[in-house]
Amino acid sequence: MTNPYVPLLFLAACGVGFAVVSVLGLSFVGPRRYNRAKVDAYECGIEPTPQALGGGKVPVKYYLTAMLFIIFDIESVFLYPFAVAFSKLGLFALVEMVLFILTVFVAYAYVWRRGGLEWD
Amino acid sequence: MTSGGEAVLFWILAPVSVLGALGLLLVRKAVHVALGMAVVMINLGIFYIAQNAEFLGIVQIVVYTGAVMMLFIFVLMLIGVDSSDSLVETIKGQKIAGLLLSTGLGVALFAAIGSATFASPIGLKEVNAGGNITGMAVLIFGKYVWAFEVTSALLITAALAAMVLAHRERLTPRPTQRQWSERRFQVGKNLAGLPAPGVYARRNAVDTPALLPDGTPSEASVPRVLTAREQVNDPEPYAGAERAIEREIEEGTNR
Amino acid sequence: MIASLSGLTTEFVATKINYGAVLPMLVVFGAAMIGVLVEAFAPRAVRYGAQVGVALVGLVAAFMAVVLAVGHQGSTLAGAVVIDGPALFLQGTILALSVLSVLAMAERFDGIGADAFTAQGAAAPGSPQESAAVRAGATTTEVFPLTMFAIGGMLLFPAAGDLLTMFVALEVLSLPLYILSGLASRRRLLSQEASLKYFLLGAFSSAFFLFGAALLFGYSGSMDLGVIAKAIGTQSGMDGLLVPGVLLVLVGLLFKIGAVPFHSWTPDVYQGAPTPVTGFMAACTKVAAFGAILRFVYVGVGDSRWDWAPALWAVAILTMVVGAVLSITQTDVKRLLAYSSIAHAGFVLTGLLAFDRVGVSSVMFYVVAYGFSTIAAFAIVSLVRDGGSEATHLSQWAGLGRTHPIVAGAFAFLLLAFAGIPLTSGFTAKFAVFSAAIGHGATPLAVVGVLASAIAAFVYVRVIVLMYFTESGGDSVRVVPPSILTSAAVTIGVAMTLVLGVVPAPLLDLASRSALFLR
Repeated sequence: MTNPYVPLLFLAACGVGFAVVSVLGLSFVGPRRYNRAKVDAYECGIEPTPQALGGGKVPVKYYLTAMLFIIFDIESVFLYPFAVAFSKLGLFALVEMVLFILTVFVAYAYVWRRGGLEWD
Repeated sequence: MTSGGEAVLFWILAPVSVLGALGLLLVRKAVHVALGMAVVMINLGIFYIAQNAEFLGIVQIVVYTGAVMMLFIFVLMLIGVDSSDSLVETIKGQKIAGLLLSTGLGVALFAAIGSATFASPIGLKEVNAGGNITGMAVLIFGKYVWAFEVTSALLITAALAAMVLAHRERLTPRPTQRQWSERRFQVGKNLAGLPAPGVYARRNAVDTPALLPDGTPSEASVPRVLTAREQVNDPEPYAGAERAIEREIEEGTNR
Repeated sequence: MIASLSGLTTEFVATKINYGAVLPMLVVFGAAMIGVLVEAFAPRAVRYGAQVGVALVGLVAAFMAVVLAVGHQGSTLAGAVVIDGPALFLQGTILALSVLSVLAMAERFDGIGADAFTAQGAAAPGSPQESAAVRAGATTTEVFPLTMFAIGGMLLFPAAGDLLTMFVALEVLSLPLYILSGLASRRRLLSQEASLKYFLLGAFSSAFFLFGAALLFGYSGSMDLGVIAKAIGTQSGMDGLLVPGVLLVLVGLLFKIGAVPFHSWTPDVYQGAPTPVTGFMAACTKVAAFGAILRFVYVGVGDSRWDWAPALWAVAILTMVVGAVLSITQTDVKRLLAYSSIAHAGFVLTGLLAFDRVGVSSVMFYVVAYGFSTIAAFAIVSLVRDGGSEATHLSQWAGLGRTHPIVAGAFAFLLLAFAGIPLTSGFTAKFAVFSAAIGHGATPLAVVGVLASAIAAFVYVRVIVLMYFTESGGDSVRVVPPSILTSAAVTIGVAMTLVLGVVPAPLLDLASRSALFLR
């Protein structure tokens, strides 16, 4: 056990082995009684269709969720260098970062109060 | 010079990203274009990190491959994966003109930038002396702190814009469960609520009515909106299929 | 090059902030933030009043902060923001014009919300959801914080000391405008189309700006305008980066002022956007963008102008000629004013191309004069109605001079100012830019400018003739009686047009005193 990567390799082998054994073992051990419902694709109780209904369009309200995700994503991008260099940056950067987060939370408060996070 | 490991990385990933970029241009389906783009973007992120620009690499993966690609896919889904662009020219000859002009711009830029003689570079070691990400932090919270703070105005604008353009606000307050219940008792019908839609082996969607004890579909079990739109399903095939499945299971067919 | 990279030293020194100098921007952004909080927490009924109040108080407070900042001039925030004479003059101009714009935007006649804006932007035009929103009294009061964010970006744009800050300012001012363009209450499809066009082309032009900024960074090793200026004297063999870089950055900036050939969005967006927003864009965006061009060209890359000024000359000539000639064929008042704004952008460019202190002061005077006139003109356009919607077709304006003499008179006066007739601010402004151009080797530009003015004057006079000497087609066109808000915006706009035409000296003095850039 000289190389620190050996346990990792062992873990990876275990993971792969588990997946292979489960999938292969099932076909040997399990009973084989099929019917039409069993071989169907499962789509949450909806009749499975080869093509999405209505050309596969999703409602525009998903867009709001996507946009909020991007906003917090960008915020986290700025948090990353701040966290790495925190000890060097000192109080000034902390104040600036808190200001930045507060302003983003103003937007968050607006979205929350106006029902942007509700799903109906 | 690049180390051996970096060269190997480059010669493996560069063809992959070129293929992805070509796919982006040549593939017809919009979803495949998006996948090609994702390949190019992830490869770019790896290249950045390999060239000691860790921050840029992380941003490339977190923001572009993560968030922006997701937004692309979202937009594709909003307009429908099957919809295709109209290729009719509204202004005659605009394709040719656009091609000529962009080629011209490209040639001019290549010629101009190619003619420049660059001074000796400072070198990555010096630039990344305190660590790439620390150097970025010093710039973001130092020289460019104002730009950084003003960026938050952009984020708020984005949130406002998404709400204004995409969020249909509820204009009347939503009735609470208590109010629903009180209303039912005032009317004196369906005191326990309306019956749930049908649950069959292969379908339990709201558009399929449940069956009453005598085998007839219950109209109360599907939303009125669907009835008005004539989008209610006939439960008979599912009930029939269910009976067939029950029979199959009892017989234990082997296939 | 080594010196310019000193920002990369690993020792972190907190940036010094001269709060007096950046106070106007802080006030405007703060007011915008309060506006968002009002949207979040105030009940629907009080939002309109609160938003208008917050916006107007914020703008007036910011204007006073600009006056106070005269004593705090200098470069602050490590050179990212440069508060000098031109920056303060233009910031004050933007704030004064913004007050008028917000007044015009807040007009609600006898409705419950701002009249120009849709009740619910997310409801599809003509859908039951839309009429339900109207019945329920929904209003899009978000337009006020959006406007304030745009104004904040405009304040930063002419004061940006480096290209990165300038780019962020460009985006901060553009993004709200894209949204505002799409929120008209009538002819909503046209408005949404305008918004999309503006957004797509704007994003494209931003990309050009960034490309140019990257090339200039490659050239000088810095984003800082001062460092780029120093590099121009010392760098050799890298002109291949400098000239394309300058031209690409200029593309991004010229797009915002609607100079030909980057003007194609202007008529569509000016027509589709809610009319008060069009006035706001035509006045304030132009002021901010000309400020940014002035700083970029005079402080940053002025020493290399022999390499790229010919391109800017061509743009100026094209802008004047195309703007003036195409305005002849227009049949829609808003499109006509859009082409007129393109032509005016060309006139301002002639002053800018003087490359002298006189050029700076003439440009600054021109944008003030044009800004006041154009906001008033668009405010008047929003008053002339046929049925419920704005009567923007020119034929509907026939005979307006007889039925509504005061409004038509004010509009005619503003058109005369656009034409540059003496005793209006337009004459003084044109005189200033053309004399600056003639005095500093740009005489051909001035000649083209005078010819283009003559063509444009023909168009304006034709509209006046239409209003006064043509029988009206029908009597369904009428002027809606405005409330104090629009009345104030129009009155102040017309009054300033007259005052700057009769006694221009005080403002000309102020402009020439504050025309010196801090390098």
